[in-house]
Amino acid sequence: MDSDMNSISSEDDFLDQDSDLSLEQGDADSDFDGDEDGDMMGFESQDKIMKPGRKAYEVEFKVYSPKDIQAYQSKQVTEVSSILGQPPEATAILLRYARWNKERLIESYMDKQEEVLEAAGLSENEGNTSKIKKVKGFSCDICCEDDEDLDTFAMKCGHRYCVDCYKHYLSQKIKDEGEAARIKCPGDDCNRVVDSKSLDLLVSTDLQDSRYQELLTRTYVDDKDNLKWCPAPNCVFAVDCSVKARDLERIVPTVHCNCGHGFCFGCTLNDHQPAPCSLVKRWLKKCEDDSETANWISANTKECPRCNSTIEKNGGCNHMTCRKCRHEFCWMCMGVWSEHGTSWYNCNRFEEKSGSEARDAQAKSRQSLERYLHYYNRYANHEQSAKLDRDIYQKTERKMMSLQTTSGMSWIEVQFLEAASKALQECRQTLKWTYAFAFYLARNNQTMIFEDNQKDLEMAVENLSEMFEKPVDALSDLKVEMMDKTSYCTKRRVILLTDTAENLKAGKGNLLEASEMLELERNSYPWDE
Amino acid sequence: MSKSKLPTALIRLQREYRELTLDPPDGITAGPVSEDNFYLWEVLIQGPEGTPFEGGIFPAEMRFPKDYPLAPPTMTFLGEMWHPNIYENGKVCISILHPPGADPNGYEKASERWSPVQTVGMILLSVMSMLAAPNDESPANVNAAKMWRDDREAYEKKVREGVRRSLGLDA
Repeated sequence: MDSDMNSISSEDDFLDQDSDLSLEQGDADSDFDGDEDGDMMGFESQDKIMKPGRKAYEVEFKVYSPKDIQAYQSKQVTEVSSILGQPPEATAILLRYARWNKERLIESYMDKQEEVLEAAGLSENEGNTSKIKKVKGFSCDICCEDDEDLDTFAMKCGHRYCVDCYKHYLSQKIKDEGEAARIKCPGDDCNRVVDSKSLDLLVSTDLQDSRYQELLTRTYVDDKDNLKWCPAPNCVFAVDCSVKARDLERIVPTVHCNCGHGFCFGCTLNDHQPAPCSLVKRWLKKCEDDSETANWISANTKECPRCNSTIEKNGGCNHMTCRKCRHEFCWMCMGVWSEHGTSWYNCNRFEEKSGSEARDAQAKSRQSLERYLHYYNRYANHEQSAKLDRDIYQKTERKMMSLQTTSGMSWIEVQFLEAASKALQECRQTLKWTYAFAFYLARNNQTMIFEDNQKDLEMAVENLSEMFEKPVDALSDLKVEMMDKTSYCTKRRVILLTDTAENLKAGKGNLLEASEMLELERNSYPWDE
Repeated sequence: MSKSKLPTALIRLQREYRELTLDPPDGITAGPVSEDNFYLWEVLIQGPEGTPFEGGIFPAEMRFPKDYPLAPPTMTFLGEMWHPNIYENGKVCISILHPPGADPNGYEKASERWSPVQTVGMILLSVMSMLAAPNDESPANVNAAKMWRDDREAYEKKVREGVRRSLGLDA
């Protein structure tokens, strides 16, 4: 194992030389992996890469609670408020109107104050329009009420409805539709945004305090490019990460929420390192429409040697006639049927020229399909295994309990099982995506290094996974070995991810050209030709 | 609102009925089935010109909820309709008839859905334009949507046959 490690590390040294593009190092912000490094003794050769606070595949991010976000919002409001000389409430509306782009707001406000105020629904000369009042001869378009002393309301746009209907409309928007910052006038096709003054008049304080504020926070996060909600169910945290959409080709920004969920900041799917978002999207789409079909085609069909139509053998006879080009050939040797002479419906011949040529062509056209299936099956297998490992994880706690009673170990001493289980999950997640990634790789030295890394990680993972299934009484004896394997797996994963991330970032990745990718994806649709 | 004797829904429906009778839109007839029940209307829609529905007269019924106009009515065609946005049982699936807030499919903007300022007339006009221009993004009848998208000729033929059958002519 030792020599193996050394060879890998020398490759890393080699790659390190031109990693000048690697992310700013030394930021201690991400606590991820921070204390695990201490456990990984005996891998000194790697320390050069491991020591800095952040590894090449990690990105800087912060997790915010809703309270933090609200506080941050009010801080910004205060700041801009003093610059614009507007009261905080009005500034809040202006900022929401400008989607929290401070600079642009200040600039355009200085430029054309009246227009901006007007557009944000804050116009000074509102006069008496946004008030509740009684109007003679009024009939509400919604409820048709026309009582003399009916209270009515309209904003500057003049779409007037009775107060009851207006209130109902607003609370429905806030409660049921989850709108807040940009509720529009109920009038048909009217784009006027309901401002906070009108809301104060019409919406109960209860609703404003709870739901409305929550929704404002939500719009704030939605408006900011550097903020995203954690997609885990019921999670209330938002993550702040400065990776821009245009960088996603070169960085895979996996972030870890306080709730424990790890996801990609770029596409909010589950962590898919090392594959970049664009490939993930392509891959998922391809798998979605193809995998079952491709499997079936691979198992049950051959292509016509002349026109490449995909053909399913639907009877026992080997004499095939292509429905499309009427080519007659033999299912067994793929040669033209006429060469079979009188040996009707049977093929015992070997090495006929036309047959072997046809078989070569057949093999070639099958290659891309088989290639896809190779990667897909491994991808799917890791997904499946991760699921099974997850089931085991559920049993881990019970195992830990029974290990405590049978072996007299303390709670702390059985924690290694949980650590192992976690590492297994993480590594399988990574492995799964290495296969999707590999599908899009060109054949070169870098890819070979990648595949070596992949192989090492996979072997380590399978070893650990196997140990995990041992009966409880055997586990206590395996403790040291399991801890070793766990940290080895984690280590291998770090190496693989670091290596890939550095190449990706340096833009000297081993990815196929876009046209080649298309070719690959297209080639496994033999019926399209 | 609370002071009036009649429920809001009835006042609204009576006014809408009056307006539709005084100034009926082209190709649309609508009104309550009987004076006793204003919550059930019958509707006749003419097939829009220049579409395969041309020449047909399509009967439908509209049912209004008790909290109309806060909640939208439902509309169901009574004869056979081959159309991407009409379920096989005749129910019309169109964004203007979907209650605000609920969009299980995520296809529609809130502004396209029902709001209390919409009227029966607006709904029926939307349905007519839906007949002319189906929306195949969220089809109610998947087979019809597929046919409409992939084989327009066959779709139009099938619609025309349906129209002829509904008029009692031989297809």
